[in-house]
Amino acid sequence: MPRGPTPPLTVKILIVEDERRLGQFIKKGLTERSYTVTWVPNCREARDALCETGYDAIILDLGLPDGDGLDLLREWRASGFNEPVLILSARDEVEDRVKGLDVGADDYLAKPFSLEELLARVRSLLRRQSAAKETFLEHRDIRVDLLARTVTRGCETVNLTSREFALLEVFLQNPGRILPRTMIAEKIWEAHYDIDGNLLDVYMSKLRAKFDLDPAKPLFKTVRGVGYQMLS
Amino acid sequence: MRSIGTRLALWYAGVSTATLVFLFVGGYYLLNGHLINGVDLLNATELEQIKSSLGPDTDRLTPAQIGERMRGMTAQASVLFYIQLHGPNGELLFTSPNLGNLRLPDMDVPGSRVATATLEGIGEVRLGEFSLPTMHVTIGTSLAQVRKVMEGYTETSLILVCLMLVFSVITGLVLSRAAMRPVRLIQETAHRIRSDNLSERIPVADVQDEISNLARLLNEMFDRLELSFNQIRRFTAEASHELKTPLSLVRLHAERLLTEGGLAPGQEEAVQMQLEEITRLNKIIEELLFLSRAEAHAVRLDFHREDPRAFLQSFAQDARALAEHRGMACTATIEGHGLVDYDAKWLRQVLFNLVQNALNVSPPGGHIFLTSDFTVESWRVAIEDQGPGVPAGQRERIFERFVRLEGGGPGDTKGSGLGLAISRSIIGLHQGHIRAEATAKGVGLRMVFELPLAGMPAVPPPGPAAPPVTDDPLD
Repeated sequence: MPRGPTPPLTVKILIVEDERRLGQFIKKGLTERSYTVTWVPNCREARDALCETGYDAIILDLGLPDGDGLDLLREWRASGFNEPVLILSARDEVEDRVKGLDVGADDYLAKPFSLEELLARVRSLLRRQSAAKETFLEHRDIRVDLLARTVTRGCETVNLTSREFALLEVFLQNPGRILPRTMIAEKIWEAHYDIDGNLLDVYMSKLRAKFDLDPAKPLFKTVRGVGYQMLS
Repeated sequence: MRSIGTRLALWYAGVSTATLVFLFVGGYYLLNGHLINGVDLLNATELEQIKSSLGPDTDRLTPAQIGERMRGMTAQASVLFYIQLHGPNGELLFTSPNLGNLRLPDMDVPGSRVATATLEGIGEVRLGEFSLPTMHVTIGTSLAQVRKVMEGYTETSLILVCLMLVFSVITGLVLSRAAMRPVRLIQETAHRIRSDNLSERIPVADVQDEISNLARLLNEMFDRLELSFNQIRRFTAEASHELKTPLSLVRLHAERLLTEGGLAPGQEEAVQMQLEEITRLNKIIEELLFLSRAEAHAVRLDFHREDPRAFLQSFAQDARALAEHRGMACTATIEGHGLVDYDAKWLRQVLFNLVQNALNVSPPGGHIFLTSDFTVESWRVAIEDQGPGVPAGQRERIFERFVRLEGGGPGDTKGSGLGLAISRSIIGLHQGHIRAEATAKGVGLRMVFELPLAGMPAVPPPGPAAPPVTDDPLD
């Protein structure tokens, strides 16, 4: 599986989205990042498309004109299709999200979303299958021991609160990638939406105070309107 | 226990026992009269005896003769009867020896031939006065036997009444329980029917009686409820979809403008502002839809029964971070233990709203206080700020939608204006209550919410001015 931001042309993605302009927009955005994208507007065509070829990931809208995306997903999982599926839905409620994941979706993204966030989630979806759980994470001169829960920077130990540790871990597992705020919040607070207020910014500023010491070579970058990125 | 069944049983026992008491009292008077009549008859019979003892020539007898004849006769009867003879002018002719020095009284009531009197040393005596051609005869019989019979009667009646009371209470309870069983079944089913199993119905017996009619009526009500419930769900899902798809497009295009570059700094700022407003708009849509679903009780919470201590400590950590970031302080005092059914995600949302509001109104360098404790029935959390506070008359209004107080109340100025309405809704879904009050120090505002401990009844609002938001009619 590719680990760079530019995947080879062989990564194929199916988009099932009834709103034509939205479908086209996503298709365009993904194509620009060199994915091979098929867009279908309804359940019937989605079934046909999936029967014809295999896909590396599927982006599935729930409210489709000829059926519910959840039923379609259930049908796929029952018949043995195990492609990673990202649900794209206007229904951003805990129970919908839980139901979606229960039926077999791998991730859930609520509308309105940013393209960067969609891309980040698609990348994490593609990576998920090959991801191995490591016990040590390293980046630049930062080294995190996930078992002992210790962090060293160079030779010195850095004391972190549990929230800061969790935040750093998320970044170290996704070096160089833009991480949407919602995705970070989900991992740290298990929140189903963007955590209220500027709590994430507060913890980011704490983390920056401890690790981002060289202004010439910043570690973290704020991606306005989307989230944060740890630079390599 | 204040159930209809118990009340029916008590009524039944009361009425049947009262009827029995009434019958026994009536019986008492009838029997008493009957026995006294018998005594009067005895007295009359004794007169005949006296007449025959005196012989046919009473008018010619001297008092000495009368005394002699009477003594011969009373020798046998003196145990039972008290006899006294008077001459036509009232002179005493004879008294039976068992009277000793006592005298039988005259009839008090003129014209009456019988009366009851109490004699010293003898007790109650039934008197009969009779007139013979030359004398008046007064005959008395002790009522001791009658009294004894009546006492026995009373005793037996009391025992029977007590037995009746016990028996009728038991019978009443058994009967009412049997009669109430269908009602209880209805109650249990109706209680079980909630938003997650609205399609369940009360089983209806195939007969036409009051109970099955009630069950049918309730089922029809559930039908309507399910229908409107589903309508709300469909509406919110569709409204969500219809609003958010265009919103997604607006956002995606705005972002594209930014990523493609080439914008003047002012233009870029305008696009950033658009993105922020889209986020805000999205939040308002989410919250409005949540409120409408909460009002229809169409929100399903993921309740867990836990001691909220750890949850609150984890939250306090975030609250402190938020406060310190703004140059303020936050002190958390978490006391006591207890089990509460709550959905941590939603409750955290409430706490965040409250802390955010408290930080927004606090002066620079301010201090907010988070306290948590337990009462016998509830878990209580309060967040206190040092802001300007809210006048007493306005403290309920801040929970209304889009209400912002002049001079910057706790309504989040940057937020949707729905934060407190949402909070009240979430607390309401937890059977709890949230209110704003003055602080003990007189400065700032204290927001308090209370949730019932596991197994305890819902926390009632403190006054009539605070109906839970979930009971508002849907407009």
